[in-house]
Amino acid sequence: MVEGLSFELLMAIVVSMSGLVTFGLIMVFTLRSINASVTVGVVGSVLSWLAGLYLFIHYWPAREAIVFQVNWLVATNIQVPFGFYFDSLSLLMLMIVVTISTLIQIYSIGYMAGDPGKSRYYAFLCLFAWSMINLVIAPAMIQLYIFWELVGLSSYLLIGFYFEKYSASEAGKKAFVMTRAGDIGFFIGLVLLFLAAGHLAVDVFSSGEKIAALLPNLKPLFPMKPETLLTISAILIFSGAVGKSAQFPLLTWLPDAMEGPTPVSALLHSATMVAAGVYLVSRIFPFYEASHTAMLVMLCIGTVTMLLSSTMAMVARDIKQVWAYSTVSQLGFMMMGLGAGAYFAGVFHLTTHAFFKALLFLCAGVFIHHFDTNDFFDMSKGGARKMLIPMIAVTIGVCALSGLPPFSGFFSKEAVMGALAAKHWVWLAAGLLGAAMTAYYSFRVIFVMWFPKGGAAGHVHAHGHVGHADAKEAQEDHGAHKGGAVWITEWCMLAVLIVLSAITLVLGFFEGDIEAFIAGAKEAATAAHGVVAEGGHGIGHTTVLVLALSCALAGVILAWFEYGARRATQAGFLSRLKPVERLFANRWYMDHFYRKLLDYVVYGGFTNTFTRNDRVVIDGGIDGFSNLTIGLGRVFSRVQSGLLQRNLYVTFFLLALMGLYFFLV
Amino acid sequence: MNSLYVYLFVALFLFCVGLWGVLHRRSLIAMLISVELMLNAASINFLAFNRFLSPDPAVGQIAVLFIMGTAAAEAAIGLSIILALFRRYQSVEIGKARELKG
Amino acid sequence: MPPLSEIIRPLPELIKPAWVAEGAFFFIVGVTMAGAVIAVFLRRIIYNVLGLAVCLMGVAGIFIYLNSEFLALMEILVYIGAITITIVFAVMLSDPMYREMPERSIVKVGVSGLVSLILFLSLSKLITGTPWTAAAERESDWTLLRVGKLLLTRFDLVFELISLVLIVAILGAIIIAGQGRRQRSSQ
Repeated sequence: MVEGLSFELLMAIVVSMSGLVTFGLIMVFTLRSINASVTVGVVGSVLSWLAGLYLFIHYWPAREAIVFQVNWLVATNIQVPFGFYFDSLSLLMLMIVVTISTLIQIYSIGYMAGDPGKSRYYAFLCLFAWSMINLVIAPAMIQLYIFWELVGLSSYLLIGFYFEKYSASEAGKKAFVMTRAGDIGFFIGLVLLFLAAGHLAVDVFSSGEKIAALLPNLKPLFPMKPETLLTISAILIFSGAVGKSAQFPLLTWLPDAMEGPTPVSALLHSATMVAAGVYLVSRIFPFYEASHTAMLVMLCIGTVTMLLSSTMAMVARDIKQVWAYSTVSQLGFMMMGLGAGAYFAGVFHLTTHAFFKALLFLCAGVFIHHFDTNDFFDMSKGGARKMLIPMIAVTIGVCALSGLPPFSGFFSKEAVMGALAAKHWVWLAAGLLGAAMTAYYSFRVIFVMWFPKGGAAGHVHAHGHVGHADAKEAQEDHGAHKGGAVWITEWCMLAVLIVLSAITLVLGFFEGDIEAFIAGAKEAATAAHGVVAEGGHGIGHTTVLVLALSCALAGVILAWFEYGARRATQAGFLSRLKPVERLFANRWYMDHFYRKLLDYVVYGGFTNTFTRNDRVVIDGGIDGFSNLTIGLGRVFSRVQSGLLQRNLYVTFFLLALMGLYFFLV
Repeated sequence: MNSLYVYLFVALFLFCVGLWGVLHRRSLIAMLISVELMLNAASINFLAFNRFLSPDPAVGQIAVLFIMGTAAAEAAIGLSIILALFRRYQSVEIGKARELKG
Repeated sequence: MPPLSEIIRPLPELIKPAWVAEGAFFFIVGVTMAGAVIAVFLRRIIYNVLGLAVCLMGVAGIFIYLNSEFLALMEILVYIGAITITIVFAVMLSDPMYREMPERSIVKVGVSGLVSLILFLSLSKLITGTPWTAAAERESDWTLLRVGKLLLTRFDLVFELISLVLIVAILGAIIIAGQGRRQRSSQ
């Protein structure tokens, strides 16, 4: 722990607290003034970006973790620290978060122009940035969990941003409840571990030897072997990641979360928040490595998720839904990588995915902002291909997503495929199938937008704002958007697109540097990064490379024949298999299953029981008690006859009886 | 005539007869009459003890004087209450005044 | 046959003065008790009032036997002269005489008699069981003169208080009894 206020500590505090400070400033002072809120928000995120950059550069040569922490909760044999923990993984993640957060804040100047709730939007963005940054640099699992929940809260606030729309507020609720359900498991796992180990500092889990040293000291709550405790808590903690990263059972909230504004989808639900689950697993990766069962579970769930959501993306017509399913699928892919033991592959794919997915969402945002519709078929009919910069950007993003060289996605997907191949051919087959489907559905979007069929004549230019509650406001903003203001807002969005495309293009070539960066500080990582050696793709695994490329190209060609070629019907082969198409479109009836579960088990069972208990037992008990009192009162009031003589009777009768005493004595 | 017991028994008899009257008469005035009987019984008791046992017999007579004064006051008020009740219920039967019935 | 004067002449010797005194005493006691029973037992209210008067006469006589002549006279003056007359007034103002005799339930009479009987027996046991001892020193002067002196010196406060009680009683009686008249006159 570093004493005194060194410059690093100052930078750490700036990075960590700038989000909270800006949130407070906006909520308290500048809610009414949109320009002031925007300024505060953007300045805050730029400041945190600079501070993060400083810390990143400062850390580069040192390779030793920078830790600042104070003991926050202390008892006899437990201690819970609070502070900052900077090592390569957290710094990498920190840079991702602050970079994308700053870019999104700049983008939102343009996207949210004219929205009356813009100040509130910026405040929530700052709140989210604060929570995510502190999650990433947490030195102890408790702090991570606190900020995990805060991230969920910001997600709820931002998804339900257009709260006048019923579907938006319902989506926010759904997101919060589903992630919360995962968090229950997370918390139970944490508590089990905490009670057994006495503390949950992150650095304990940073190497295999430390874990092995920890095992004999564990005092589990129930009598069980320490290895079993490890497995159980690992699986429980993973359930938190299942919720937050929208893995198999809890994945339906993410497509619905697209009700929020598009920059929010770009920031939260593609690049950062949903990556928190993956980050959690990689943070305590040696902990997972120690338990083979947990790794297997992760692998299975990742595979199922990836395949399932790819199928759902193949029939979606809403551009944001396609990217949402794609996010779920790629997260599953990352989990597969981590489950196969490839720490670096998973983290690298997380990094590249953050950038190109954000790019894809922001391009979609530009189109939505322009055409006032989410359906990309309508967009293409409206003449989307005429907007060059967004179209090129989206094409770059899609190439990266499908894993085509030389984009960044190619390098990261290669790394994961190599790891899967090393594990077992079954997983590799699943990965290849997933790659094919990914290529298919992403190029479907591209070909539809580049080559509109039917109704391309006429340029439908609808300049509106999605989710506006007040039509009159829309009219006013329409007027305000003429002239110079249009130029600035448009260029905000386009500049961000250009920056992100550039990153997507070049990031892949830094794979070796990043791998060295991450592998340097963690001993376990060197043994666990799978078969990707430094600076290149797997030696002796050219087969994997060829197979992956050919699957991706097969998907592209299929999409071309169905959507892009001159005589294409733009209907897709699934439209001929109506039941299958319906299955995919209804998300494999998962939502229906959850609805039934809620209705019968939760509402029918629990709610019913508790309501009945409240009404019959509690209210009935109290009512019965009061009725008893009233009844007893009625009985006793019969004594009051109102007759004076009767009262005298009783008095003297008793007196006479007392007088009998004299007889007996 | 020179024994305390006779007077005490007379007083006791008067008291018990008065009590009997209070308990079984239905007319309020009859109850009042019975109460007067009980008061007189108490006076006789007082004077009997005064004559036979008291250290200063003059004081006992003063006490009985006051009993008589109080009895007079009580009778006056009681009768006016009875008149008010009669005006209200048109009868001096005790069964009529039972509005305080629970 | 001896002449009447011969029969009557030894009679005064037969009547011992002691027996006369005792006889008179028990006669008065009997009058008291009889008056009490009449006051309570008979059904017509006016008989009860007359019985009360008779009983109170007897009580006055008993007071004389207890060496309190002043009190006996006060008894007659206050009770019979004032209270009994007031009761008669109340009877006249409230009880219609032409109505038939009020009925009574035997059960009520019986049970209350039982209660009084039990009380009587218990208290008589108490009376006979207690050893009544006279005070050691007894004042000998208990004439009316001394009573009057005590009333105006030592028991002055009590005297004033009883006057206060009487005034309050008068005012209260006027107010309670007068309310109905005021109501009726204001209609």
